[in-house]
Amino acid sequence: MMLKRLLPPPKWMLPVAIASGILVGIALFTFYISKAHAYLSDKPEACVNCHIMAPQYATWSRSSHREWAHCNDCHVPQDNIFNKYYFKANDGLRHSYLFTLRKERQAIMILEPGARVVQNNCIRCHEQQVVDPKLEATVDMYRAIREGRRCVDCHREEGGHGSFNSLSSAPYARVPLLDNPIPNWLRKYFKD
Amino acid sequence: MNNKLKITEKRPWLAWVLFAATIVIVFLLGLLASTIVERRMEATFVNVPLVDIKSFEPRNEVWGQNFPRQFQSYYGTSDTTFRSKYNGNAMIDMLEEEPAMVVLWAGYAFSRDYSQGRGHYYAITDVHNTLRTGGPKTPDEGLQPSTCWTCKSPDVPRIMEQEGVTQFYTGTWARLGQEIVNPIGCADCHDEKTMNLRISRPALVEAFERRGRDITKAGYQEMRSLVCAQCHVEYYFNKNVAEGANYLTFPWDNGFSAETIAEYYDNIAFSDWTHALSKTPMLKAQHPDYEVYMTGIHATRGVSCADCHMPYISEGGQKFTDHKMQSPLNNIANSCQVCHREETSRLIQDVYDRQDRIVEIRRELENQLVSAHVEAKTAWDLGATEEQMKDILQGIRHAQWRWDYAAATHGGSFHSPVELGKTIANGISIAQETRIKLARLLAGLGHNKAVPFPDISTKEKAQEFIGLDMKTFRAEKEEFLKTMVPQWLKEAEKREASWERNQIN
Repeated sequence: MMLKRLLPPPKWMLPVAIASGILVGIALFTFYISKAHAYLSDKPEACVNCHIMAPQYATWSRSSHREWAHCNDCHVPQDNIFNKYYFKANDGLRHSYLFTLRKERQAIMILEPGARVVQNNCIRCHEQQVVDPKLEATVDMYRAIREGRRCVDCHREEGGHGSFNSLSSAPYARVPLLDNPIPNWLRKYFKD
Repeated sequence: MNNKLKITEKRPWLAWVLFAATIVIVFLLGLLASTIVERRMEATFVNVPLVDIKSFEPRNEVWGQNFPRQFQSYYGTSDTTFRSKYNGNAMIDMLEEEPAMVVLWAGYAFSRDYSQGRGHYYAITDVHNTLRTGGPKTPDEGLQPSTCWTCKSPDVPRIMEQEGVTQFYTGTWARLGQEIVNPIGCADCHDEKTMNLRISRPALVEAFERRGRDITKAGYQEMRSLVCAQCHVEYYFNKNVAEGANYLTFPWDNGFSAETIAEYYDNIAFSDWTHALSKTPMLKAQHPDYEVYMTGIHATRGVSCADCHMPYISEGGQKFTDHKMQSPLNNIANSCQVCHREETSRLIQDVYDRQDRIVEIRRELENQLVSAHVEAKTAWDLGATEEQMKDILQGIRHAQWRWDYAAATHGGSFHSPVELGKTIANGISIAQETRIKLARLLAGLGHNKAVPFPDISTKEKAQEFIGLDMKTFRAEKEEFLKTMVPQWLKEAEKREASWERNQIN
């Protein structure tokens, strides 16, 4: 059996059991404390696991898009599932790296690949408004003007999370920040 | 030991149990560690005041004990490494950059020494060092009045409280040397009990009153500019308030523009000095930063000084104001890009484009003015009468005032390029008119040809042209820095050591 061959010789059993127990325990704890499982979901709450996203969450949750589109509907590709999770993992790893090393900017700005994804997602839902055959047939340059810029260049408030962009722009907004990682029973135990 | 190890040799299932138990224990230990970290985190959010800040406490370090983030960033004003295209926080010898200024200020202390200022941190050091304050040897002598200290230090409100405002404005600069030692800081803008912004200098309050406004009714966002407007403004010394007093006054009664301020000065027949070459009763613009900013688009849209020069920052989830007051060009990401989404290089280019254009026409006016002064001197030398020169001198006064209004304002070419464009255009037009009159007068006096433009290609040549003895100035300054200043600082140290410090934590 495969598993049997991986096991240590019998007389090493005890130390190996404890050492690998520590390792697995730390790994599980890291997974739990970073809420890694949340990132598989589409919930906007997962994006405010990092508190620096609070202004973005606050502005979205008070915007006209709130009822229709969540973070991922705009910020990750929706053309196929592989593309979606590939992009998400890629962005997520960069974000966790920046957040962990405190490398975030005061005014967080979208990068070019992200901006392209957002633009495609605008069109995905608003195709009727953007691709109007009547206008295209009658207005000179309609296509060129449409394709030469992005929706949010003009629709800053609706699509762009308001006009101010700063970690400090919504300091008192109510945002579902991280729950306390310590389970209630343990907290109760410490209190009593 | 060997026996214990053998326990699992015989019962492999026990190894699995131990493995599982270790996982659980480590996980629980992790949770325990989290609670400890969490409790430790709480401490960073608790503001523990360490000292009781007394009213009129001038020492920034004492305030800094209670507000470490703000204080640390305030210390950033000691940075002198940033140089933008025209300004920055490095010390730039402006007379070296623009030797024509030496001629324009002939007969006035600015022709000796004029440098781009450094950060607030150096307010006291730089005013000690500049040749404009001369080298007083006793408290009763020297070039400048005590009023010159008004904007340099949080010691000023303290002394004003002790002596009274008019008394503070009376006497020489050297009189208060030992009293005023802490550089611009906390108490200049903050109330020591509530930390609210407050106005500590009477001149701004009085100027508001004369304009029919009560400054205590100003809202928070306006205060974020008004605390700066206590000093970053045009001012003059009114000698008619009390005997011997140089009463600091803002000439805002008719408005903020160069034209309305000139009208104000003409009405009271005020002049800062008489020009050494042309004998013109001149006006010196100080630094009408607030006035020019108020005419610009950012002010119109409600952006305050602090929004760009002291932007909000977040550090570990804590929001506070960056107290390193500086050029936003050194801080595009935290200032401009909060509202503007363009690339950093694009935004900087936008600023430089405006500065380049304003500087280009300002230099044109500068050269016109040098010619006008030299031509006026020639006219005097050829025997022109006061009656003949009256209009001409008025023209030089008005044209140079407009030039100085545009040159002395920091960042004005970005704050309000349109207003400054208009001001300089008016200045050029007045200077040209004046030079036409001068040409006619000179021709009448028998000098029907161009007056040669002096060689003022360097600061030294320009200073020699107006007859300045720089060696003497430098020597008396050196003497002053070696003898007076250490005395002042020693006295101050003794005084501050005698104040009790109320440590409460």
